[in-house]
Amino acid sequence: MLAMMDDVLHIGNETENKVQAEQGKLPEPELKPEKAPEETKLETPKEKHSDSQTPLIDFQHVTKAYARKVAISDVNLRINEGEFVSIVGQSGAGKTTLIKLLTKQEPPTHGSIFVAGRNLADLRAKEVPFYRRKIGVVFQDFKLLPQKTVWENVAFALEVCGFSQDEIERRTTKALELVNLGRRRKNYPEELSGGERQRTAIARALVHSPKILIADEPTGNLDPVNTWEIVELLYRIYQRGTTVILSTHNRQVVDKIKKRVILMKGGKIISDELGGKYVI
Amino acid sequence: MNLGVNMSSSFFPTIKRIIKLGLTNFWRNRWLTLGATLLMTLTLTMISVSILMTYLLRDTAALINSKIDLTIYFRDDTVVDNSITALMTRIQGLPDVTSARFVDKAAALAIWDRLPINENIKKPVTATNNTLPRSIEISTNSPDSIQSVVDKIGATDTDKIICTECVSYSKNKDTVNRLISITKFVQRAGLVLSMFFGLIAIFNVMNIIRITITARSDEIEIMRYVGASNAFVRGPFIVEGILYGLFGTIFTTLFLLAIGYGSSYYAGTSSGALSFLQMINLDIFQYVLAHLFDLVLIQLGIGVLLGIVVSSLSIRRFLEA
Ligand SMILES: Nc1ncnc2c1ncn2[C@@H]1O[C@H](COP(=O)(O)OP(=O)(O)O)[C@@H](O)[C@H]1O
Ligand SMILES: [Mg+2]
Repeated sequence: MLAMMDDVLHIGNETENKVQAEQGKLPEPELKPEKAPEETKLETPKEKHSDSQTPLIDFQHVTKAYARKVAISDVNLRINEGEFVSIVGQSGAGKTTLIKLLTKQEPPTHGSIFVAGRNLADLRAKEVPFYRRKIGVVFQDFKLLPQKTVWENVAFALEVCGFSQDEIERRTTKALELVNLGRRRKNYPEELSGGERQRTAIARALVHSPKILIADEPTGNLDPVNTWEIVELLYRIYQRGTTVILSTHNRQVVDKIKKRVILMKGGKIISDELGGKYVI
Repeated sequence: MNLGVNMSSSFFPTIKRIIKLGLTNFWRNRWLTLGATLLMTLTLTMISVSILMTYLLRDTAALINSKIDLTIYFRDDTVVDNSITALMTRIQGLPDVTSARFVDKAAALAIWDRLPINENIKKPVTATNNTLPRSIEISTNSPDSIQSVVDKIGATDTDKIICTECVSYSKNKDTVNRLISITKFVQRAGLVLSMFFGLIAIFNVMNIIRITITARSDEIEIMRYVGASNAFVRGPFIVEGILYGLFGTIFTTLFLLAIGYGSSYYAGTSSGALSFLQMINLDIFQYVLAHLFDLVLIQLGIGVLLGIVVSSLSIRRFLEA
């Protein structure tokens, strides 16, 4: 657990930070995660979603029906460890529902979802919180607690999971350094820009050193400058070996990332391409 | 990637944080909290009053038992055992007597100690200074035969060992019976009322807790996203529930003491209004004081349990099923 933490959130000296900041920038015309320095690498991010390995995430004929609406309909989807996947689609396409199924906030109506080979339906209620600690989630509306500072918001995620004070200090410091908010630690959310708020939320999502980071429309409330700041940060997190799932309907964001793009419409996946473009 | 339980949490910081969160929330919503606490106080007061009534009934029963039908007292402590035994045999031989029981000085003191009467009257009589006379408690087959039994005993008392002027007929028996039925009624009414108020309190405390939970639904939502265990989501609310019980107990106890003190004071100065109390010479304040420990324990038990149950019920829908 701690070793994993070091891999994912390892922050070295200043120069290292600069190097990483460079790499966080989206290079044109092509991104090569293999160029990531040795010490950041957990496992080489997979560029292909080949069938040869057990996928990290596996949706098998998943349908989610609400009382009056089928939000997800017979979805099959495999995501390998270390991938950067963008889920795109208009509002109501089912992106958020897909994420809720993945975080086990909602059970599927039909079909099964496997994460790391384990069927989520078999997770006991007691295990669910521990499962959630392995998936970081960020949202369009940040979901920060207004009466807590940046530091307290991030530390809160560890406090409520029973971490020791030393461990909280250590992990919170590292996470805030990773999102480059060390200097804003004493500020309250209302004193931050939208981008800084989202970076706080990302730091909170990373503080458990999750294997998967899910971002549901993280740039939906942000201006273009802040949007790039967040996308670059997500990219950097991906380069460190974390599987990143990004839901968005921002065409520029998707076109720039040039990673796997899953297009959803009416609860179905209608295209799934590598280096995809936003096409509707 | 292992999805199973991975216990990296330590117990004591967790408990400390849960208590801290509970206290913070208790204080942050202090007006709502005050409402819940007052409701809890009302419930506990009703319960305490009906418990006091139960005690009172029990003690009054002791009082009444000590006044069976007829009690004869011995003239003084010099009367020898032989004379007493002889008298007992003669009394038991009388046709209308159904039972006769000798009460020695220690037994008399035990009864005396349980009487719900003013401490100032009670106190001077102790084991070393036992001025209570020995007596024989007699039951007869019917109230009508009491007088003839008294006469017959007087006739057989050749040694003159009976204090004839202090033979106690149950003149008070009707009064005492009435007293018992009043006490019983008050006790039942108290029980019904405390159940009624208890239900109202549960309902309202539940509502108040629901409001505080809704006010903090963001926090709970985030706690769940970041993987807080059910215990941690529930914990602070349980702490709050315990605090309702705790403060409810404190308020109730203060309230009972104030009422007890007030009525004792009032009973000492007035003649009409609290004649019920004067009849048995009951000092409510002393009575409450004497039972304070029991009352506090019961209030604490019920209050804390109620708080915990209500909190747990309200928070349930926020937990992993
Ligand atoms: N809790 C819910 N109850 C009923 N319908 C829902 C619920 N959540 C989502 N839906 C419906 O499911 C569809 C997909 O929603 P959602 O997954 O939020 O889409 P997206 O995130 O792509 O905008 C929408 O039509 C929405 O109205
Ligand atoms: Mg959505």
